[in-house]
Amino acid sequence: MKLHLLTAALAATSLLATLPPAAAHGPTRQKVSEKIEINAPPEKVWAVVSNFQDGGWIPVVAKTEGTGGNAPGAKRTLTLKNGATVEEEVAKLQPEKMTLMYRIDKVDVKVLPVTNYSSWLIVTPADGGAKSEVEWRGAFYRGYPNNDPPPELNDEAAINAVTGLYKAGLESMKKQIEGGS
Amino acid sequence: MIGALALLLVLLAPPARADEAFVTSQPAETLSIVDLASRKVVATLPIPGKPAGIAVSPDGTRAFVTSPDGKALSILDAATRTVTYRVEVGGGPLGVAVHPSGSPAYVADWYQHRVVAVDAASGAIAGEVKVGDSPSGLAVTPDGALLLSADRDSDAVSLIDTATLTRLASIPVGARPFGVTIDAEGSRAYTANVASNDVSIIDLAARKVVATVKVGERPYAVALAKGRAFVTDQYDSTVSVFDTGTLQKLVAIPVGDYPEGIAASRDGAFVYVACWEANTLEIIDTATLKVVDTIPVADGPRAFGAFIRRTRE
Repeated sequence: MKLHLLTAALAATSLLATLPPAAAHGPTRQKVSEKIEINAPPEKVWAVVSNFQDGGWIPVVAKTEGTGGNAPGAKRTLTLKNGATVEEEVAKLQPEKMTLMYRIDKVDVKVLPVTNYSSWLIVTPADGGAKSEVEWRGAFYRGYPNNDPPPELNDEAAINAVTGLYKAGLESMKKQIEGGS
Repeated sequence: MIGALALLLVLLAPPARADEAFVTSQPAETLSIVDLASRKVVATLPIPGKPAGIAVSPDGTRAFVTSPDGKALSILDAATRTVTYRVEVGGGPLGVAVHPSGSPAYVADWYQHRVVAVDAASGAIAGEVKVGDSPSGLAVTPDGALLLSADRDSDAVSLIDTATLTRLASIPVGARPFGVTIDAEGSRAYTANVASNDVSIIDLAARKVVATVKVGERPYAVALAKGRAFVTDQYDSTVSVFDTGTLQKLVAIPVGDYPEGIAASRDGAFVYVACWEANTLEIIDTATLKVVDTIPVADGPRAFGAFIRRTRE
């Protein structure tokens, strides 16, 4: 559903001939946070959230392949429905806090217009433990590392793309879990 | 009458306060002022343009805040919490440091690879000097003679003569130095090298690196207290501690996610850490090497620079 955000970024950035090396970036790191309530107990939701080797609840993901399970250092490659790939790695897994932190090791800014991306998935009990709240947080820099970025690689583009991804991902997770599949 | 008035003034005078932390919160576009005795936020000031860098004059009268997105330096009266000047410096102002005499303030321009000097009293631009690529952290020696600039994308530190604003040397360090801190004696400088995950120790007289110490992943800045270096490891969510004499690593202290700006109290008893993702200022006891308090601050604290303000003798 939100695939168009990524596709739009792809179309826009394909006009750029070359990008400067990704080592440098502008000084302003961005934050995004989205939340959703899911009608299922936290343990059931955490089982989905903490399973790093299955990113199937993210609508744009076609396939997940990885190594290392869910432990810190575990890796996965997401193949998206448009054929692009995203390489990710677990940074922290804290079952007692129901928190998973992972990073993107490699993604083309044409696929997701961000660099130095980290994210957190946090499950907390809601309604006395009968329901759950899932928060998806992200930290990243925009896709363009220098001053005066083109509009498709500026801070707003990065925030919009990540926000769209999170909203669609959380909606899809809710449907999957509440639907019992 | 005069005696009575004097007594009244004494009675009305606020109680002696502890020092304060001036914490820039980048996405919130505010400066949180934290009283370090009560460990509470006592003021929150709006600072537009995604504020990041901070420096407070040694006498505690002024604070200097960079806004990279606003291309500006704000000069504040620290006691009245008011912005005196907003100086357009251009480019991408990031690191800031103030001369021990209280003026000028030096601003690192990340995009235009220079350091701009700004007169603290008038807000006028007093000069500039070209440095290496993407200067980030700045520091001035305690005698005021030398300015250091961590030139992130040159993997080097520029040494600048403050009297003439000329660049004397460029000293190669580890990969992508970000924060730079000078010891109280003015003899050594420490850079946090983001890409090589280590700290370079520079002998300022010899103008070269004399030691390199491995720390956690993506180190951001260094604070010095009680003969130890405290280094924020952004990706590990820890503060690495090593002995500055033996260079032995002592411990990695868990703190909130994305620890960034770090500074020691004047007596060295505490080290304060701004955690960008956790939205906290965390307090480490330098004797026990443990976090003893966590203070919520505005969204996205960076506090990049010397952010402790002296409020009394």
